[in-house]
Amino acid sequence: MRRASRYPLGDVTVFSLIIINKAGGLIYQREYQAGLRSLSTNDYLVLAGTFHGVHAITRSITPKLPLAQTSPATTTPGGGGSAPPAGYSYPNPGIAASGLEHLETEKFRLTCFQTLTGTKFLLFTDPMTGNVDTIMNKIYELYADYVMKNPFYQLEMPVRCEAFDRHLGAWLRGRT
Amino acid sequence: MSSSKASRIGEETRIDKVNAELVTLTYGTIVAQLCQDYDSDYQEVNKQLDKMGYNIGMRLIEDFLAKSGVGRCANFRETADMIAKVGFKIFLNVAPTVTNWTSDNNQFSLIFDENPLADFVELPDDGRAQDELWFSNILCGVLRGALEMVQMQIEAHFVSDILRGDDTTEMRVSLVRYIEDEMPPEEE
Amino acid sequence: MSYYFTILSPTDTPVFNIAFGTSKSGGDGIARFRFPDTAQYMNQFIIHSSLDIVEEAQWTNGAMYLKHVDTYPPAAAYISAFLTPSGVRFLLLHQPPQLSNSGGSSGFGASSILGSSSNLARGSTSSIAANPTSPQTEEAVRQFMTEVYENYVKTAMSPFYKQGAEIRSPVFRARVTAAGKKWL
Repeated sequence: MRRASRYPLGDVTVFSLIIINKAGGLIYQREYQAGLRSLSTNDYLVLAGTFHGVHAITRSITPKLPLAQTSPATTTPGGGGSAPPAGYSYPNPGIAASGLEHLETEKFRLTCFQTLTGTKFLLFTDPMTGNVDTIMNKIYELYADYVMKNPFYQLEMPVRCEAFDRHLGAWLRGRT
Repeated sequence: MSSSKASRIGEETRIDKVNAELVTLTYGTIVAQLCQDYDSDYQEVNKQLDKMGYNIGMRLIEDFLAKSGVGRCANFRETADMIAKVGFKIFLNVAPTVTNWTSDNNQFSLIFDENPLADFVELPDDGRAQDELWFSNILCGVLRGALEMVQMQIEAHFVSDILRGDDTTEMRVSLVRYIEDEMPPEEE
Repeated sequence: MSYYFTILSPTDTPVFNIAFGTSKSGGDGIARFRFPDTAQYMNQFIIHSSLDIVEEAQWTNGAMYLKHVDTYPPAAAYISAFLTPSGVRFLLLHQPPQLSNSGGSSGFGASSILGSSSNLARGSTSSIAANPTSPQTEEAVRQFMTEVYENYVKTAMSPFYKQGAEIRSPVFRARVTAAGKKWL
């Protein structure tokens, strides 16, 4: 927050959030601030599927790491393309550490966070927005609380949890 | 990641707490009701508990990852430490002992010194529950569900339970395989 | 002193019974009632007949422990009562030993917990054993009741225990026995 406010034009601006299930299906899409042009529902589905595929490919070209190495993960914010692999590896030597993490244009930055379970959170923010990791963690926590713990939410299905909308919306608005 | 680091994460992760007796009584009621509904067919009750746990585990894993912030484990031994020292610690406030590893590092036991689910419980004295019912069987399902979501297929079962008059409460966990097909490398 | 302890559900169903003797001043913890042949049902009868008085006494103050509420002189039986908030009654019948010419029937036909011929330590004049209405006795019974209450709550919390059903838990019986040994 504080860091963001140092940029006169670049407040913490979250344009929208997309959640993709582990099969590549779009399960959640919300806009929080105007600034980006909207897509049709169909295009969002295509975006989710395409991103899922590209992400899988970036993971498969990421080199695997020796198992012994156990230094903590480092996220390297950077331009488009695949981020360098973090300093840890999977117990399963067949899978690489990470895939695509950021995509950036002049007007927005797309940050992808994939949970260990395979769910992907895609956050569209202003390129100047800092602390995206913090925002992402909070979103993940809210998702765990209000989506995963909702007994009537069916796993891998589109998220229709009013409490999640409400809390996430309130939190995002509260911090901007 | 060393096991002491896992202990620290388990201690430091903050999670909303509820009254332990509420949990104990709620869980006890569920088991007792299942025993009634299935006419004391304890094999079936064990199966149902495992199934319920499985559904919980698949959801709880996200909470675990979101709140604890831990990354992927480097091997199954690390996974075991995470389960015992972080998972059980933050959700049940107990830290079972990890022990009895097989030489291939694919099987271990969790020994529970205390089990909040089983406080106050005395198994039905119908002569069968002592031999057939695994009262805390939901925990096996939870582990199975949670680990499946992070690409590990495991098998878990209790081998002894203080409630049955055994000296310890012990759960055996075996890694069956890492699930490879998490994502297809190429879409066809 | 010999004791007969009963737990009654709010609907007057007996859910737990135990007979035991004093363990104080050398007692061996075995009940020796004065009329061992009839003790088994007479004790229950005496206890149940005190219920009217218990129900009267329970409104006199807010305490859970009602102390000594009733006496049945023919059997020298004293009843102390304890109420739980849910209306479960703990009733303790205590019968001081006969001081002389006890002898007792030689125990034939009576089970070992209800009758026996051994007379050791029967004539003890310890305050608890000899005087059922002394403050020391009241206090000891209160301690006993409180301890039993704690264990009763734990037992009642077992998911497999149905409210109002007989308590068959061996653990509970052992704990009550232990409490009796400790305080009475």
